[in-house]
Formats: sequence, structure tokens, C-alpha cells
Amino acid sequence: MSLDDLKRHFGEFLHGYFVSEYERKLREQFVDLNDLFMLQCFMELVGLPNPAAIYLLDVYPFFLEEFHTWHRRMGMDRSPIGSMPCC
Amino acid sequence: MASAHGHGPLADRQHAVLLKKRILFFGGKGGVGKTTCASAVALAASRAGKRVLLVSTDPAHSTSDIFERPFGADEREIHPRLFGLEIDANLEARRYIDTAKAGIARMFSHAIAREAERQIELVSGMPGVEEVALFDRIGDLIVGRFDAYDLLVFDTAPTGHTLRLLRMPELVTTWITALSKRRRALLALNKDIDQLRLEPEAISPEDDPILKTLEARREKLEQVRARLMQHNFTGFVLVVIPERLPIEETARAAELLRESNVNVCQVVVNRVLPVDAEGDFYRSRRAQEQVYIDEIRQRFSQYPLVWIPQLPTDVYGLQHLDRVSSLLSL
Repeated sequence: MSLDDLKRHFGEFLHGYFVSEYERKLREQFVDLNDLFMLQCFMELVGLPNPAAIYLLDVYPFFLEEFHTWHRRMGMDRSPIGSMPCC
Repeated sequence: MASAHGHGPLADRQHAVLLKKRILFFGGKGGVGKTTCASAVALAASRAGKRVLLVSTDPAHSTSDIFERPFGADEREIHPRLFGLEIDANLEARRYIDTAKAGIARMFSHAIAREAERQIELVSGMPGVEEVALFDRIGDLIVGRFDAYDLLVFDTAPTGHTLRLLRMPELVTTWITALSKRRRALLALNKDIDQLRLEPEAISPEDDPILKTLEARREKLEQVRARLMQHNFTGFVLVVIPERLPIEETARAAELLRESNVNVCQVVVNRVLPVDAEGDFYRSRRAQEQVYIDEIRQRFSQYPLVWIPQLPTDVYGLQHLDRVSSLLSL
């Protein structure tokens, strides 16, 4: 391992050491916010009417990937919404 | 000139108040003569040299019966300078769903798209789809076709339906605004996380397709809403007949429209018993009608009123419509 590599690794180590805790917090916050956002987009799931449901058809295609991870995390194995055909 | 039971001539200020508008909605309880009035106003305006689009949103679609010409789902000239269009909510819903489907087909593999197609069919049966699609079409017309015509006349479905329609942008805009605010916060957070990396990917919230779609939607709704509330060129005409239930329903409609900041520019009292009808039967009917007429005067005192007598024959065809136009003092 050359000296340059060593320097680089040490730099990355320091970066991770000081930043990771902060990043973890931000990620947690991100996930929480995202859950709320998803809930607002798919309120039909919890049996509440969603006044913008039809307008959201436009954005559903963009959601497919995010929606998949989300419904898995929410403990639903298969896609709970017919119109979201991720699985 | 029609005035209810000889209560003096119409006030001059009412003359042609309708023809000064650029967008007119006609509403009222079912069967009171909305379509007749809307058609008469549209015809009078076109005879006065204006380019007019008469739009029927009532699923019953009687405009083509009145004009004795077929209307279609697209604008067509039915009389010189008078264009007609019947919105088929079902068809519009179809169009909307198809657009969404095309979006999915464009972005995903064939297998997924085919699966999605079957499933999306279910959404098209959801309550409210047709309503939204209908509203969308009206919105496209009052924003997109505004410059193509001097006057847009909407013959709407019975009151409750129309009022919901007019209040919808408010509701949906609030919702979409909340969604896009939340999405923005998410993206900002995502950017913060990205900044922590040694080699940030330079994520820009403005490139987010979801946010872009939401914002475009909101902008469009805001535009429609603004136009609906522009009192100087958008007006709502309420049609009522001197009977208990229509009066109640129309009073409620006027109140709701006021709350939604939509301008009620005229109340048309249709089918008033003619003064020259003779005989005991008519005398007795008129005495009863007088009660309702007084009530209308009192309850709608803040709006310009115009009275149309019951006509000896049904109204259809251009000749009869011209008669109604003149009774509307156009």
C-alpha cells in the first residue's frame, strides 16, 4: 500500500468517524418523512379518502420503486394497491 | 317584456349584463330550464356578432335537442359563430386513465405495463374519477380556449354536482400543496445527506419528476381557480322557478357560491304564469304563485332578477330560442 493510498484511507476513516452519526440521524429523519409522504399519497390504504387520488395517477409511475421499498418496510409483502404493480 | 305580475319594467342596469361577461355558468335545480336559458344566451351572443362556445356538462345533454342539431365531444359550429360541445364525463375519464397508462407503458417493461393495465382499470371505477375528469376538461376550456372565443357558456348539471365541481380546485389545491411541500422537505433532506459524502452527486430538487408533476398540476388548478373567481368576466346565472323546492335549493346554491367567491350575476325566474292568462283556474294559481314571487324578491334581493313567463309551447329550435333571448332582454 502506497503512502498516498494510506493517506486516502485515513482521510475516509476520519470522514466516516465524524460524519456517520450525523448521517444516520438524517437518514432516520428522511425515512420518517418519507413514510408520512407515502401515507399522504396512498391514504386509501388506511381507508381514508384522498381528494387528489386521481391526480396522483400522473405521479404513480415515478413512485413505483419507492413504493415497493415502502410497502415492504410497512410489513406488506405484496403490493397492496392494484394500480401499483410493483409485485 | 316580462315582469312578474306587472311589478313594473325591468331595471335598465340588467340589460345585457350577461353579454358583457366572458365566461357564464348556468345552474339550478333539475328541470327548471337551465339548458333553454344557456342556449338562448349563447344564441343571442352569436347573433350579436360574438364567437361563442356553448358547453353542455349535464349528462342529460339536451342542448342538441334544443338546437335540433347533433353536438359532439369536440367543438363544432352549429350556427354561424356559435360552437357547441357536449362533455361526456365517462369519455373524459377514459382519456385521463389512458394518459396515465401510457405513462406507465413508457417507463416500464412490457410485462409490468400489461399487468398494470389490468389493474388500472379498477381505478377508473373509483368514485370521483368522472368528476375530476369533467372538471379537468372544463378547466382546459376556460384556460386554454378562453382566447379563441368571446364568450364561453356552460350549461351545467343540477346544482349540487356543479357546486362540488366549483369548490373542487380549492380542496385539491390545498392537498397537492401539502404534498409538494412535504416532497420538497424530503428532497432537501436527501440533498443534505448527499452533501455529507466525499463525492456528492449534486442532487437538485428541481429535477425530481414527482415534484415537477405535482407543481404542474397545482399551477393548472390555480389558474382555473383564479379564472372562476374573476368577477369582472366570470358569472354564474342561477335559474329558478316560483316553487318551494327550487327556491330553497337555489338560495343554498347562491349562498355557497358567495362563500366560494364566485360571482352570481343574474337570477332568472323561469316559468312565471303569464299575466294575460284568464279564468278562475289561473287566478287561483297566480294567487299562490304570488307568495313565491314575493319570497324570491325578498331572498334574492341582492341579485339582478329577470322574469320569464310560461310560454304557450315547448322551447326548441332557433325561433323559440330567439323569443327567450328577447325575454331575457338580450
